Formats: sequence, C-alpha cells, structure tokens
Amino acid sequence: MHIVGLYISPIAIGALKDLILTILSTLLSFVLGILFAAGRLYGHPVIKLVIGWYVEIIRGLPAILQLFIIFFGLTQIGINLSPLTAGLIWLVAYGTGYAVEIFRSGIMDVAQGQREAASALGLGRWITMRKVIVPQAFALMLPALTSFVVLQLKNTTLLYLIGYADIMYQARLGADATEAPGTLYLMAAAAYLIMSLVIGRIGYRLEKRATAYR
Amino acid sequence: MSNEVVVSIRNLTKRFGKTVVFEDVSLDVHRSEVVAIVGPSGAGKSTLIRCVNRLHPFDEGSLQVLNHQLNKGSQFPSKQVLNDIRTRVGMVFQTFNLFPHLSVLENVILAPIEVKKVPRKQAIQQAMELLDMVGLSEHANKYPKRMSGGQQQRVAIARALAMEPEIMLFDEPTSMLDPELVGEVLDAIQRLAKDGMTLMLVTHEMQFAKEVADTVVIMADHRIIEKGPSREVLENPRTGRAQAFLKRVLNPVHATELEREVAVGHGGGR
Amino acid sequence: MLQQWVQYFPDMMKGVLITLKLTGSSLVVALVFGFILALMRLSTSKTLNLIGTWYIEIVRAVPVLVIIFLAYYSLGNILTLSGFTAAVVSLGAFYATQYGEIFRGAILGVDKGQTEAASALGMPSRTIMRKVILPQAFFTILPPATNQLSNLIKDTSLVFTIGISDLMFQAYSAASNNFLPLDMLLEAGVIYFVFYLVLSKLLARWELNVQRSRS
Repeated sequence: MHIVGLYISPIAIGALKDLILTILSTLLSFVLGILFAAGRLYGHPVIKLVIGWYVEIIRGLPAILQLFIIFFGLTQIGINLSPLTAGLIWLVAYGTGYAVEIFRSGIMDVAQGQREAASALGLGRWITMRKVIVPQAFALMLPALTSFVVLQLKNTTLLYLIGYADIMYQARLGADATEAPGTLYLMAAAAYLIMSLVIGRIGYRLEKRATAYR
Repeated sequence: MSNEVVVSIRNLTKRFGKTVVFEDVSLDVHRSEVVAIVGPSGAGKSTLIRCVNRLHPFDEGSLQVLNHQLNKGSQFPSKQVLNDIRTRVGMVFQTFNLFPHLSVLENVILAPIEVKKVPRKQAIQQAMELLDMVGLSEHANKYPKRMSGGQQQRVAIARALAMEPEIMLFDEPTSMLDPELVGEVLDAIQRLAKDGMTLMLVTHEMQFAKEVADTVVIMADHRIIEKGPSREVLENPRTGRAQAFLKRVLNPVHATELEREVAVGHGGGR
Repeated sequence: MLQQWVQYFPDMMKGVLITLKLTGSSLVVALVFGFILALMRLSTSKTLNLIGTWYIEIVRAVPVLVIIFLAYYSLGNILTLSGFTAAVVSLGAFYATQYGEIFRGAILGVDKGQTEAASALGMPSRTIMRKVILPQAFFTILPPATNQLSNLIKDTSLVFTIGISDLMFQAYSAASNNFLPLDMLLEAGVIYFVFYLVLSKLLARWELNVQRSRS
C-alpha cells in the first residue's frame, strides 16, 4: 500500500499527459481523416491511389516500427525530433490512416436510397452531405470512433519506449526503484482501464442519443 | 387531361454496361394525365421513370421533360436545369427512403427550406397541411422507423408534394407494403389524380391502374409492348405477350393451372 | 547502403522465424481461449456470462505492452516465465478477447430460424452447435479472423522490449551496430508489409472464392 501511495501521483500525471495526447491526436486525426476520406471517395484518381497506399502502409506496419522510424530512423537523415514531437507526429499519422477508413465506410454505408431520395427532391450535393448523409453516417460510425479513441489512448503507451514520460515510464521507474513491478504495472494497467472505460461510457451515451431515431 | 405534352420520350434506350435495360421506348405524357406502367419485373419500368427526373442517364434517343431537353450520355445537364427538373418532378420510392434521422415534419420541410428557401414557418404550415391531407398530421413529430410502412409511404408522398411538383413519379409505391396497408397509399395517390396532378406510376396493382389511370403502358422484354387507354389495354390486350402477362397477374391460380394443362396436353416441356 | 540491407538480411530472417513461431503459438492460445470466452458469453449461466464479459472488457482496455510487462515482470516474480512463454501468454490473453467477440458475433449471426428448425427436428443443442451453427458461422468468421491475425503479427513486434530476438529486435540491434536506423527499420518494415499484404490481399481473395463457391 505504501508503494501505491508513493507512486499514485506520478502515474496520475502520466495518465493526464496520455489523455491530453489522446485528445489532441484524435482531433487532428479526425480532421485529416475527413479530408483524406473525401479525397479517397471523390478525388482525382492519383489522389485516391496515394491515399489508398498511405492507409495500407499505416495498417500494414507494426505501430512500434512506425514510431521508431520517425524517432530513430529520421536521425539518419539529420532530423532529430524530441520524444513528444515524434510521438505526436506518429499518433496523428497513425490515427489518420485508421480514421480515413472509418469515415469512408461510414459515408458509403448510408443507403443508396437516401442519396436518390435527396436527389429526387432537388437537394444539392453539399446539402445532401450535410443534412442527410453525415448525420446518419455519424450515428453509424460512433462505435468505431469510440474504439478509435481507446486505440489512440493505448497507443500512447508506446511513447514510453522513446523516452516520453507517460504512465508506463513512471511505472517503470517505480518498478526499478522498488523492485515491486507487480504493483506498479498493475497500477499502470488500472490507469488505462479506468480511462478506457470512461471513454467507452461516453461513446455509449453519445451512441444512444445519436441513434434515438431507430 | 390537357393537350400539353409535359414528358416526351422518343426512342429511348438505356444500358447498364452491355446489358440492355430497355430500348426504343417512346411515350408522351400530357398535363394531368395519369400513366400507369405495368409489366413483369426486370422489364426496365423503374429505370425508365428514373430517367425522367435524371436519377439515371440514358444512352440513345431523346427525352423532353417540361421545357427541358435532356441530352443522352452520362454528362450531367447544367445545374440549373437539373435543379429545375428535380423541383418540378417529385418522386416516391418503393422503399420509401425517408430520412431516418429526421422526424416526419423535418422530412417534409427539409427540401422546401434548403432548395426553395421557403421561410421555416411557412414551410411548417404547408407541411402540416400536406400531412393532414395524407391523414398523418398527428404523427408529425414521430421518427419514420416508428411508423408502419403505409404511414411511411404517405409521409414520402407528402415530402415530395412539399416541393409543389407538376409531375409525380411513383416507383412501385405499394409493393413493399403488407396487403392491408396498400389501400391507404392508393387512396392518397388517387386523390392526387383527382386534383389534376400529372402522374407516372409503376405498379403491380392492376385494378387500381384500370380505375385511376388514363393510360396504361405494358413493358416486357425491355420494350413497350402495348399502350393505350387503360380499360382497353387491360381488358382486351392485343399482343399474346401482354395477354399472357395479364392472365398471370390477374388470376395467378388459374394461370398456373392453365399452363400446367397446356404443358400436359403437349406432352410436357414448356 | 544496399550492401547493409543484404548483410543483415540473414539476421532479419532469424527474427522472422521467431516472429512466426510466436505468432503461431499465440494464435493457438487465442483461438482456444477465445472460443471458451465466446461460449461463456453465450451461456445461460449468469456467472459464466459475467466473468466472460468482464474479462473481455478489462483486457481489451489495457495496452498490449502493459499486459506483456505484467506477465513478464510481475508474474515472473511468482512463477518465472521465460520471455517467450510470457509473450505467448500475454498475446494469447489479449487476442482471445478479439477472437472471442468474433466467434460470438458469428454464432449469434446465424439465423434464429436455423436453431428452431434443428430443434424441431429433435437435435440436441450440442449437435445443433456442431452441425448447424458452426459450419455456417465459419465463413463469417474468416475475414475478421484474418484481420486479427495480421494485427497479431504486428503486435508481436512489442516483445522485443522483453528481450525476445524477433524481427523488430533484429532491426533494432542491427541499427545500433551500423548506425543506419532508417535503413534497418525500413528493411524490417518491408518484411512486415509482405506478411500484411499476403494476409490482407491474397487470403481475402481466397476467402472470397471460397464464399462464392459455397453460395
């Protein structure tokens, strides 16, 4: 119990840092993800191809490898990034790759009949998107968006491996100092668990509200 | 029915890739005329009326809708033309296609407000009148998924009417409905016909077509095989193909028996 | 540069072997345990159901790296697991939740009429599961299962943190030898990507063919 009391505040601070990184990277990924999804759906063939391969590469490479390429790999060509900068760049790059697919399939999953009905009423493309497709797509996408935020939160763990002082970093310090790794890693796990469950709850609430019409 | 032709279809052909959907279709629709298009499934009926409001492009022939000449090929007509057609031609779908995330009232006012820039208050007033006409004014705040199919389809009719169209297209409006709900939708359509609306209606309801339509068009095998005054076409079809089709839909049991007798009489194999 | 790629290629291949061994072992654990979890969540016993649900909720919410550290450093105090065993246990424990949910979804996805029809024919529930439900569920399972397998391969890269000499480890140590981290990490990346492409493209095509031939 003594150990818990001793390390609870550094771990809490680490958790807060992870949470901020999660929120920040999620927002940036969503913005880029929407733009890329639009590009992939309606863009020039070359743009479609480039975005398609970007998504494949992000999905195809291990997360840690991507992060290491940005942090360690780029030093080889003279680019030295701080752990925080490298971590944030990676979180956004990675998140964007996943967000594109969420938005794209969300938009495509809205039934074709909805587009036809909107066209038949004379609604323009922009209004159709804004008033008909996006509100429905948003409701369809919410579960995926919630898992996305949890995934981003869990990804912040990896930043510890490039020396960013997050939850895991604090837990590791504590584990080494106290020789009670069990307690400290459990505390780290608990911190992630609590944050994930809260995110999941919020997502569930939003989902309930967004799909009230069903 | 007046003499003014509002939809003029001349030698229209439509393909999806290499498959012919329909070919060489010609048809004139006059103002206030009610045209019912019937025929076996796969004949191209739905696609034909979708060409009229340019949900689908066509490949050959010419098509005049109101005062607009639509060109063939997949190139879109200008935005103004398209907008004008879409606002003056309303459409009701087989699957209703109401916007599920909007209430009944919001479904009806969306297009008037967004496209015609009608003030919200006025749009609501007009929407309530239309909902009243289709007998659903007390359901205005419900969401579509909470309603029966018949109610949803009547909302869809009100939604299309809210744009004050001159022509209404109906794509098998009752074929997704339970039998006991068909009547309420047909009543609403019949009312429109009485009020002098120009209607193009794809349907399987032969009795309704006979009573309400001025003209019946039978499509089969990707072309029009018969057209004329409804009673004449449905009671005394000239072509054998039309006779066979009508026999099957008007009296299915009898028709199969007949076919079986014919098959047996001819030593099997039809 | 190219010469460095060639020089370290044999080491990378040694790493690949370990990565594959690890993937295979973890997959077996995940499939077996995942199926048990699915049955627990589908069972009529409230206790089993609750245990299964909570296990999935909790384990899914924790990063894989944390689970690996817990298994290796914490459990290690009690029963001293080898790095490899710890890795298999933690990856298996995590991916069991993914496979458990896939199995459950697929079993639930089989039309209720099928169970009713089979019961009406007098089949006992085990037979219904084995002969009627699972064969139909199998083809809905394949695509998400392949997807998770490709995630599993990628996540094995985390075990280099507990000193297992997998592909990621080989790339990292090669980079510390020749100071060419970009080259070495990219070389490993190409290898990982090949596995990803094989799983996502070729297997997906095969699955599509199988499905087509059956419908």
